[in-house]
Amino acid sequence: MTKHQGRGIAAIEYPTGMNQNGDPSQAWIKLKMDGRVDVFAGTVDIGQGSKTIHSQIVADTLGVPMDWVTMDTSNTDSSAFCMGTFASRGTFIGGNAVRLAAEKVRGRILEIGGELLEIDPGDLEIIDGEVVAKGSPDKKIGVGDIAGAATFVKGELISGQGTALKEYATLDPETGAVTIPPHSAISYAACAAEVEVDVETGDVRVLKLTQVYDVGCAINPTMVEGQIEGGAIQGLGLGLLENCYPYYPSAEHRGGQFGSYLAPSMEDLPELECIILENPSADGPFGAKAIGEMANNAQPPAIAAAIYDAVGIWVTELPITPEKVLRALEAKAAGQPESTRDGKVVRYDEALSMSSFQAAESAVRFAV
Amino acid sequence: MNITINGTSRIVNAGPLTPLLHVLREELDVLSPKAGCQQGGCGTCTVLVNGEPRRSCLLPIAAVEGAEVRTVEGLASGGKLTPVQEAWIHHYAAQCGFCTSGFLMAATAYLEKGGSDDHAEIAAALGGHVCRCTGYVKIYDAVAAAARGESFDLATTAAGSRTTIRGVEL
Repeated sequence: MTKHQGRGIAAIEYPTGMNQNGDPSQAWIKLKMDGRVDVFAGTVDIGQGSKTIHSQIVADTLGVPMDWVTMDTSNTDSSAFCMGTFASRGTFIGGNAVRLAAEKVRGRILEIGGELLEIDPGDLEIIDGEVVAKGSPDKKIGVGDIAGAATFVKGELISGQGTALKEYATLDPETGAVTIPPHSAISYAACAAEVEVDVETGDVRVLKLTQVYDVGCAINPTMVEGQIEGGAIQGLGLGLLENCYPYYPSAEHRGGQFGSYLAPSMEDLPELECIILENPSADGPFGAKAIGEMANNAQPPAIAAAIYDAVGIWVTELPITPEKVLRALEAKAAGQPESTRDGKVVRYDEALSMSSFQAAESAVRFAV
Repeated sequence: MNITINGTSRIVNAGPLTPLLHVLREELDVLSPKAGCQQGGCGTCTVLVNGEPRRSCLLPIAAVEGAEVRTVEGLASGGKLTPVQEAWIHHYAAQCGFCTSGFLMAATAYLEKGGSDDHAEIAAALGGHVCRCTGYVKIYDAVAAAARGESFDLATTAAGSRTTIRGVEL
């Protein structure tokens, strides 16, 4: 038997947006004369789906079909300011900006709808593109008709702006203490890895990754799943393969071409199981929190722990290559002290152990 | 020199050792093949030459004279996407999309040869292509669905396939 299986688990937490806050995102929405909605926001969609998610947030806040909403992200100059697409802040901060802007547009649609229907705006709601009297669904007017009346009768452009900004959290220079919380909407996740380690070749195969992500609210579950799956395979690569300097022992032997950087391929794909936990945040759009960057953090430590479970070695440097596995197995066989998970070689010292401290303390107390 | 791109014969002025990728993108304005690593390592420049997937960044145009070259531009006809393209959309198999053209052409070649929905066979056919965003899961789902002949209503969005969602009451 040269192949041994093991299981390991790792958990992480991840705050949304910049540490210490102070990173605004803004949005501006205008209602066209036919009721269609133009959204201008600076959030950049790099494939994670922020255009779709912002459009969903606007459509649900306004009460119009999603295909009425156009996200204009054609440039960051004409768009409202956005601090950027980083820190996993797109859905939480950018999404809050478009939600706040949409709430203002919604308020004005209801006011004008109330004038036209001669009903108090508080007694109206917007359902599927129509302003409807609560309890009297036959009293209604289309959002397009309201936008047309605003444009051609009232001479008004219905628009709204929103800025999502949490105040910068100043640090006390002496103590490091903050007066307001320096983080927002912390997401939590855990990953369990099942691996197979070949003690002859040092090869590690990940058989299964089971992952649980608390994202607050999955505004688009399939896209959240895409983030989790993509992050899982990135994390597998960070854990086992990816190294800017693959050629031991020195930097001038770095890889000269793209193929020398080993990224996972479809053939490395393990079985994946994802669980999205909706534990809503108090201040996110519809309770949403971040998913972006946290998705590739938990796999490397879970894989390292699974290798320990399988063959009893802690490899404390990533990526865990076959060479490192074989060297650690040799060191273990030679009876050398074991590396610990923080990378230090530790020998058990009776005098420094917690039980010795407690014993000494007790001894003193009894003496007094 | 004449080369045939998506069924149309095109006259090319570039020299015979110019990579096909540069001729397609810069001279013929065929932009679906992407210039990724340009060393044959990433797969995003893949086109079909007589039905076989080839890295266009490494292929001199002299080697394709008289051959039939196909790119993503030649997949859909009459406004109708091919089944694997529809499956790609349904399964959210593209995130940033930079690898998509190469994957689509390799998948097309695999399916035209009667490829099945077997995971190992699909992985072997597409294993030389790199995707950084999706983790390959939804790409595999799309190719497997096309291999099974599934069709999709693209007016609806895909449901997550491996995910369970559990709400927590506050």
